[in-house]
Amino acid sequence: MGEILTHLLNGFSVAMTPYNVLWLVLGAALGTVLGMLPGLGPTTGIALLLPLTFTMPATTALIAMASIYYGAMFGGSRSSILLNVPGDGAAVASCFDGYPMARNGRAEAALAISAIASFIGGLIATVAFVLIALPMARFALKFGPPEYFVLMIFALAATAAISKAALMKGLVAMIFGLMLTTVGLDYQSGTARFTFGISELQGGIDFVIVIIGIFGIGEVFENLEHIARDVAKPVQTKFGRIWITMEDWKRCFWPILRQTPLGFVIGILPGAGGTIAALMSYNNEKQLSKHPEEFGKGAIEGLAAPEAANNACSVGAMIPMLTLGVPGSGTTAIMLGALLILGLQPGPLLFEQHPDIAWGVIASMFLGNVVCAVINIPLAGLLVRVLSVPARILYPLIVAVAFLGVYTINFAAMDFVLLTILGFVGYLMKKFKVPTAPLILASVVGAMMEQSYRQSMMLSDGSFGIFFGSPICIVLWIFAIGSLAWPFISEARAEKKK
Amino acid sequence: MRKFVLLLMTAIILTMASAAFAASYPSKNFECIAPAGPGGGWDTTMRMVAKVLTEQKLVTTAMPVVNKPGGGGGVALTYMQRKKGDPYELIVFSPPLILINLTGQSKLGYKDITPISMLINDFGAFAVPKNSKYKSLNEVFEAIKKDPKSVKIGGTSSLGSMDHVQFLVAAKAAGVTDLKGIQYIAFQGGEGLAAIMGAHIDLLSTGMAELVGPKESGDVKILALTSPKRIPSGPLADVPTLYEIGINAEYINWRGIFGAPGMPEAERKFMEDALKKMTETADWKEICERNGWTQVYLNAAEFKSFLDKSNEETKSLLAEIGMLQN
Repeated sequence: MGEILTHLLNGFSVAMTPYNVLWLVLGAALGTVLGMLPGLGPTTGIALLLPLTFTMPATTALIAMASIYYGAMFGGSRSSILLNVPGDGAAVASCFDGYPMARNGRAEAALAISAIASFIGGLIATVAFVLIALPMARFALKFGPPEYFVLMIFALAATAAISKAALMKGLVAMIFGLMLTTVGLDYQSGTARFTFGISELQGGIDFVIVIIGIFGIGEVFENLEHIARDVAKPVQTKFGRIWITMEDWKRCFWPILRQTPLGFVIGILPGAGGTIAALMSYNNEKQLSKHPEEFGKGAIEGLAAPEAANNACSVGAMIPMLTLGVPGSGTTAIMLGALLILGLQPGPLLFEQHPDIAWGVIASMFLGNVVCAVINIPLAGLLVRVLSVPARILYPLIVAVAFLGVYTINFAAMDFVLLTILGFVGYLMKKFKVPTAPLILASVVGAMMEQSYRQSMMLSDGSFGIFFGSPICIVLWIFAIGSLAWPFISEARAEKKK
Repeated sequence: MRKFVLLLMTAIILTMASAAFAASYPSKNFECIAPAGPGGGWDTTMRMVAKVLTEQKLVTTAMPVVNKPGGGGGVALTYMQRKKGDPYELIVFSPPLILINLTGQSKLGYKDITPISMLINDFGAFAVPKNSKYKSLNEVFEAIKKDPKSVKIGGTSSLGSMDHVQFLVAAKAAGVTDLKGIQYIAFQGGEGLAAIMGAHIDLLSTGMAELVGPKESGDVKILALTSPKRIPSGPLADVPTLYEIGINAEYINWRGIFGAPGMPEAERKFMEDALKKMTETADWKEICERNGWTQVYLNAAEFKSFLDKSNEETKSLLAEIGMLQN
């Protein structure tokens, strides 16, 4: 313990040099802005910064890249809350309750709680990083294809449970989401599926296009119906302070603390990521909540939970990259590449050979969280004014931003077609009150679920026993069944009380 | 006679025009294409080439890099067809150029763009978990010969792509006859590394750079590299080549620069020379070292015949596993 403190203090002395702090602040600001813009996310930000990092000392380069990463996690929810257009995948769950909050005139509280929850989630995860990074990374290696498959089942089971009210519609949405993920080149057979000879479709339908279409464009389509009627009426014209009430805080306190560990663990698993973490924590919180009926209508804890989880996840995602040299996501893969070019080989030896760099980066995570919170609260005061823009100006702007953002993903005009179609699907879903959460979650986990299923089948030569072959699998099955059964158990308990 | 004079004059004018054109090349900005998104190998190579060419004044006009990702390079190949004969289009490619065509992922292939120079080589590696029962790659192949199902091979790219093919090349040379029976399981990026470190698979076939970290931490053992010669220094210097362990094979992950289809001869020659000069600069050498790239240089003709040969070899290999489409 004493040794860790010494390392950490040394780390702070590295991270606190003016040059490093400068890049930390620049990175956090750049990340926040990129996170806000739909389509552009931390991966693009870090790739853009890449040529610059070659001229920096390794520690500075790593600090700058990491700060972009969590800056984006802070910023992503801004556009989810204000415009119903998620800034990036991890911010999709912030639409569910953040946007209704803003519509109900609680935008200030929504923006504040998302920054506060992100801050706390990031902070706790960083402390966990300091204490248990290496054992956690070793634990994550125990997850093979069968464990991933059951984990994805667990994630989907939770969704099935939350759409209990509209079970049939929820299932339809989920299956549609799963179908979307089958488009593109299939890894196990090397053949293209459902691409109709269009080479742009070989990479599959990017998840970010799905969410921007379903949420952002779908929202615009729906509002076209009554835009003529309340054309001049903006959502809100008077703005209060960006802060929350004591009541809000009480409601969010436990959700934040509960969902942070979940996000952290998901982050450590290579391949899972911020989006899965945010969606799982949202579902989880809805199940545990005393008033699940408020979820989706502007429940503040429904916003706090995924925000805490996705920031904890982004800290967790750094662990396999730094301690094992295994990149768990597109963002950390680019960071790893940059480190190699700087002559650093991440892995356990990084902590022995370059403790100043490793611990400097960890210390910078603490500072980065503070900086992001400091940037985001006053920024929110400015951003919230977007709600005073009348719909006839705001909606064309949303469409423009959505199309621009989608173009930056693949630089392919083909994606505009997909975006429009998905927008129309989103509109229909709203019209017929089909829940969107199952579709979104299915389209995130679908590809991984299918691939891990087939990888497992190849590993076991076709025997299903592999899915029950390890303690981790068994525990995950129990979780999955538990989360399916939970709504019924809690209902029965409520009956009894009456 | 009049006809002859006319013909002669036309010929002279044409020659002069093309000479004048060549002399003024390049007179406008290039478009340098990375057929994938920012941050990967293709993108880095194209950006570094453009950077050194302009910084060293080997090319005097601007060389902005444009990303055209999709279809494993297929989208960019289609785009190049629209630029036929345009000497201001450059693109970087590597073995997938041949693979996506042969496996039917793209109708277009290496014959649909103009090879200019090969610049970089990178190599593959085969790794096993630290406690693996296999002490050498030969033992792995012996086990596969007895029962192909008993050895689970992982790779970090899809079936019929580089990681799979490089293993097949080695297996074939080692005398494995049932190439189709080899159990290849495709992973994506870091998941493959995690799978070998957690011993969920028996062997991982991937690029050598990715395995340096897990090797240094002691989580995996690298049994062999696909390079023709041993890597002279650094963390991989103690890993044998396939040749050294008695397997007569190599697999090169090459990277080179191409022009649009039908790129005019004079301009192609200009770029070929510029790239040749670039590889002799200290800047380029340093970039190669920093990225762990093995520096090579093949001129257009050598590059073309390398591609022809590689195409034929890959073709017969893919035919054996039933994946040949084009």
